[in-house]
Amino acid sequence: MMNLLPTLAEPSRLTFAGQALFATLAAASLLLFCLRLGTVAGRILASKKDPGFHIFPLGPRLKDFVVEVLFQAKVIRERPLVGLAHAFVFWAFCAFALVTLNHCAAAFGLAFLDPRGGSGRFYFLTAAAFAIACAVSIAGLFVRRFFVRPAWLGEHPSRESGLIALLIFVLMATYLAGFFVVAESRSATLLWWAHTAALLIFLPLIPRTKHLHLLLSPVSVFLSRGGFGRIPPLAGDEDFGLVTGRDLTRIASLQAYSCVECGRCMEHCPAANTGKLLNPKSLILGLRDYLSECGPQSEEPLLGRFNTQKAVFECTTCGACEFQCPAGIEHLPIVAGLRRGAVNTGAWQDERGTRLFLALERGGNPLGSSPAERDRFIEKERLPLFDGSQEYCLWLGCMGSYDPRGRAIAASLARVMDALGTSYGVLRKERCTGDAARRLGNDLLFQQLAEANLETMAQNKVKKLISICPHCVRTIQEDWKEFGAPPAIEHHSEFLARHLPQLALDQSQEKIVYHDPCYLGRYREVYDQPRAVVAGVGQLVEPPRNREHGFCCGAGGGLAFLAEESGQRIGHVRAQELAATGAATVAAACPFCNSMIGDALKSMGQGAPALLDIAELAARSLPGQGTPERTG
Amino acid sequence: MKIVVAIKQVPERDAPVRIAASGRWIDEDGLQFAMNEPDAYALEHAMALRQKHGGEVVVLSAGPERAAATLRDALAKGADRAIHVLTDKDECDALGVARLLAAAIQPEQPDMVLCGLQSEDHGYGQTGVLLAELLGLPHVSLVLEIEVRDGSVRVKRELEEGWMQMIELPLPAVLAVQSGGVPLSYATLMGIKRARTKELRTVAAADLIAQTGIDLTPEVTLESIALPRKTRSTVLLDGTPREAAAALVEKLRNEAHAL
Repeated sequence: MMNLLPTLAEPSRLTFAGQALFATLAAASLLLFCLRLGTVAGRILASKKDPGFHIFPLGPRLKDFVVEVLFQAKVIRERPLVGLAHAFVFWAFCAFALVTLNHCAAAFGLAFLDPRGGSGRFYFLTAAAFAIACAVSIAGLFVRRFFVRPAWLGEHPSRESGLIALLIFVLMATYLAGFFVVAESRSATLLWWAHTAALLIFLPLIPRTKHLHLLLSPVSVFLSRGGFGRIPPLAGDEDFGLVTGRDLTRIASLQAYSCVECGRCMEHCPAANTGKLLNPKSLILGLRDYLSECGPQSEEPLLGRFNTQKAVFECTTCGACEFQCPAGIEHLPIVAGLRRGAVNTGAWQDERGTRLFLALERGGNPLGSSPAERDRFIEKERLPLFDGSQEYCLWLGCMGSYDPRGRAIAASLARVMDALGTSYGVLRKERCTGDAARRLGNDLLFQQLAEANLETMAQNKVKKLISICPHCVRTIQEDWKEFGAPPAIEHHSEFLARHLPQLALDQSQEKIVYHDPCYLGRYREVYDQPRAVVAGVGQLVEPPRNREHGFCCGAGGGLAFLAEESGQRIGHVRAQELAATGAATVAAACPFCNSMIGDALKSMGQGAPALLDIAELAARSLPGQGTPERTG
Repeated sequence: MKIVVAIKQVPERDAPVRIAASGRWIDEDGLQFAMNEPDAYALEHAMALRQKHGGEVVVLSAGPERAAATLRDALAKGADRAIHVLTDKDECDALGVARLLAAAIQPEQPDMVLCGLQSEDHGYGQTGVLLAELLGLPHVSLVLEIEVRDGSVRVKRELEEGWMQMIELPLPAVLAVQSGGVPLSYATLMGIKRARTKELRTVAAADLIAQTGIDLTPEVTLESIALPRKTRSTVLLDGTPREAAAALVEKLRNEAHAL
């Protein structure tokens, strides 16, 4: 069968003049490429080292590299058609490595692959198959970029990316045409030169366009800090976060230069989608521009000319950008870093932000409530105090302690635990976990809160916590680690799902749409458990954006406590989407989501769906509660 | 310009206070302490003035060992140096505290002395006034705004029923600051780290007494204190919104005397 296919014709050796010309051009192209790449690499390497970064263990890094780079899994999964087109271009590039080496060697009569027989012929034909796929794909991507153009690709597509697409097409076309000319003919030599020209023009363009991602994003993926949304520790007495270029770490700089400008971050960002200043793509490109213009040792503030403080404090830290990024960029540590830089130095002056920090400094909770109110709630609900003998320590959190909705959720969970006969107790005194302080970049306050709480945990000999708040769960389990060993903690959805068989909840025909909290979903990868609870009490309905693609409620990153949003309200956009499913009830699994979406639903007036937490759904469906009534 | 800010350390707000066995003061065991809020405002004013006119902000506190923590907080918020007049645990009255503070302030020769209007624990509202008298300086209390013009200071003070008074007085002067005139700032990591290298000088109260011969015998003593009695007097006003509003106005006017 392979014999029926045409054979690649390449000149077996150029004339001496041809060789000299090729050698000169190739050297020039390579030199330009190296110089330009060297400039970028120099800026990255001149950035400071990443505190707390370890290359080992290599296993997860290799796995990410294979899955995300070699198999292009993320690129394909999130945008299948476009992703596959991209993957074909990438795979063709890989396949062309040997083809290109052989192509250049052929100029000097040193070709090592024989197009006429054996493995060489097989290899060239395989590369040809990739070349066809690549040529079709790049043509398709060109049409998309220049004629269809989704909003997140920007209003003005860069001319350079058009040129690059053309060069890639020429590379493939000249290679494929080589199969249809006579060996050693004039046409074969002309094709060889056309292919070479495309290659030598392409090479020096890579380091100065977004096509730098060809080289850098595989490195970014491999060198990721690991852990979703992980905020790295500060190092030394002069580290206050990202203040000036001197604070940019190598990984941050590498990631800034890895951006491929695909706009997936922007497509999923709740801020960018509701008319706010923040745009995660511009944020990263702003850092890149800073590095290119000022350099990594510059004293110029990072927030100013290239990125604004306002935009940085509009992030809900929902993590959609970081989850989506195919180039391995970790946006969350960068946003947190810039906020740290602004807050740890006192540069961020925001009326509500200051009020929040002062409330946390003095009262230990972000709502500014008196701890006596928490005592009264515990007394009224007759919640047992934790004495070390119970299985669970029920962590109320600030919302569960002070917020009316949060209290109702906590009380419902207590009822379910009572019904199960699971022993639990609440702490006499809790302080905020420091979630809002952490995400807003107040390291001093976060450390004080984390340490005070860790001490309380140790004094009370707490081994296992359960919480209604995904923000508390995340902060206790991951962020407190910087200051000690936190007890084990689980979210109530995990507890409820595990006990569903014993609970024997009454199931109704009510349609219930489930909203994924960012800190439970993307941060903790808990998607199925809350759905199991919902499916156990009614008919589960999915909103258009669900699971990993869940759309934020607008509360995260401390934003629940800051000023009114500009543009559309994120919570209202999400509530509309949930209501449009036609479900009678919205199920949430986070007191902050409950608060934001609850407010939005209230503003819709009559006909808006009811809103309940999964704990409330479970509590009202306990056997012997009667048929759950429709509360729409 | 050199500004001295007198600061008091008080029990944290919302702290669960218990009456001590003596019945004369609260039991301090297990209490958390913080900066008296009006004093925090005084510090903010001082730092704003330093920002505008340059100079130095010195924070000063008379109190037991624990008060040093609050002085460190003040250094972290931006004060340049601190003086701690170390007293033993026995409380002296407002005059005694003012005498200690005045003795510590005298050698500093400041251009301005700021303090909070009153403390959140005793609430005497006397220290600033007494301090001015002891230092022989002009004094204004209930200050909301401070504006320095060569050699003199113009202040806005709050009177009752929303009235404000503008007063100009020569420097040096003692100003007792009312809460709310300037925004409070939050503590920052940079502030805490910078504070470590700042000077915190401790002066024993006994040494000051020996040097200046001041007398701390209390003129005022606390006989007993009591927790406020809780009374439930919530009234739900029935009727249409119009009737309820009319009843509310009537009650506000005649019972609460708020209108």
